[in-house]
Amino acid sequence: MSQGKSEKPSVVTYADHEIITPPNKLLGALKAVPAGKAEDDPVARAEQALEHIASEFATWMDQECDRLDRARMEVRAKGLNRTTRGPLFSAAHDIKGQAATFGYPWVAALANSLCRLIDYTPDISRIPVSLVEQHVDSVRAIVREKARPDVAMVADTLAKRLREVTDDFLVRENRDRPEYLESILAPPVIPDEQ
Amino acid sequence: MVRVDFAKLRFLIIDDNAHMRRIIRTLLHGFGARIVYEAEDGASGLEAFTNYTPDIVLIDWAMPIFDGLELAQMIRQPNAHSNPFTAIIMLTGHSEKARVMAARDAGITEFMAKPISAKALYHRIISVIANPRPFVKTKSYFGPDRRRKIKTSFGGSERRKGSRSDAARHGASSDKATVSR
Repeated sequence: MSQGKSEKPSVVTYADHEIITPPNKLLGALKAVPAGKAEDDPVARAEQALEHIASEFATWMDQECDRLDRARMEVRAKGLNRTTRGPLFSAAHDIKGQAATFGYPWVAALANSLCRLIDYTPDISRIPVSLVEQHVDSVRAIVREKARPDVAMVADTLAKRLREVTDDFLVRENRDRPEYLESILAPPVIPDEQ
Repeated sequence: MVRVDFAKLRFLIIDDNAHMRRIIRTLLHGFGARIVYEAEDGASGLEAFTNYTPDIVLIDWAMPIFDGLELAQMIRQPNAHSNPFTAIIMLTGHSEKARVMAARDAGITEFMAKPISAKALYHRIISVIANPRPFVKTKSYFGPDRRRKIKTSFGGSERRKGSRSDAARHGASSDKATVSR
């Protein structure tokens, strides 16, 4: 679509800004379909395509957990610093975003708690390594015990407890930064779209 | 009912996580897309953006070299050779208000919190195609209009001088603006 004929955007100039309306080159990709005449459902087709690769998800989740564990080992050996922070946060953040897609929805809250701990602590060297270890061990345990009938309840209990401990720590560490504290304890603004 | 012919669109996925790239690619192919490029960090993403001129860019936030925000700001250069108006959909694990605002201020077109669903991704893509927002250029910002709605009941002072919301309240804009093409 990008290589169509180039048209110039229309520009309306105001005192301190411009409103620019570029030509919509993507409109050609839209097609009207009469209601009830829709052929197949593209969303259902995409979900089906995802189902086809779902057999790989358990392996992928294990790989993500191994990555998190390697990052934790580095923290254990060297402490939390600028070098060890990145891989630990990145691994936890990826698990937070992917766990539900991989079929481990209960793990996301555990990984999210670890992300908050790392992200919102002003001086990361003050984060107790034991609290990092508890998060990582919880993630690994829930992934390992996925087949347990009570896994959702166990994960929920773990996540709530870790979140409480983390919030207590963050409140203490940010007591001189009330403006940050408010946003740290605020709920996410993105609604659940699943 | 409106449908998108995905076969006519070119996508670029920029995400450092290979698993996530595979998931997004699978969803896009499931929708019917044929041309899907990939890059695994901000630098190669910018190179791919320049080389492939995609119609829609899907970017992660946290990436090595430079992150999704920095990349969005590099794409949103009004005088760039590549298309600075390209739709950018950010797919990220971040969902905090401050992050969403920062993404908006970097010129992101749409924001999606992971985990992503086929339905949510499809609707974001429909939105950027069917309902594109005009762009705003100020001294400090170039990107899609950050106001998705004009509040005619708004009674406070305007940051923009002679803006569209002024026009909506006062019923005239032609004396405030010059129009060019």
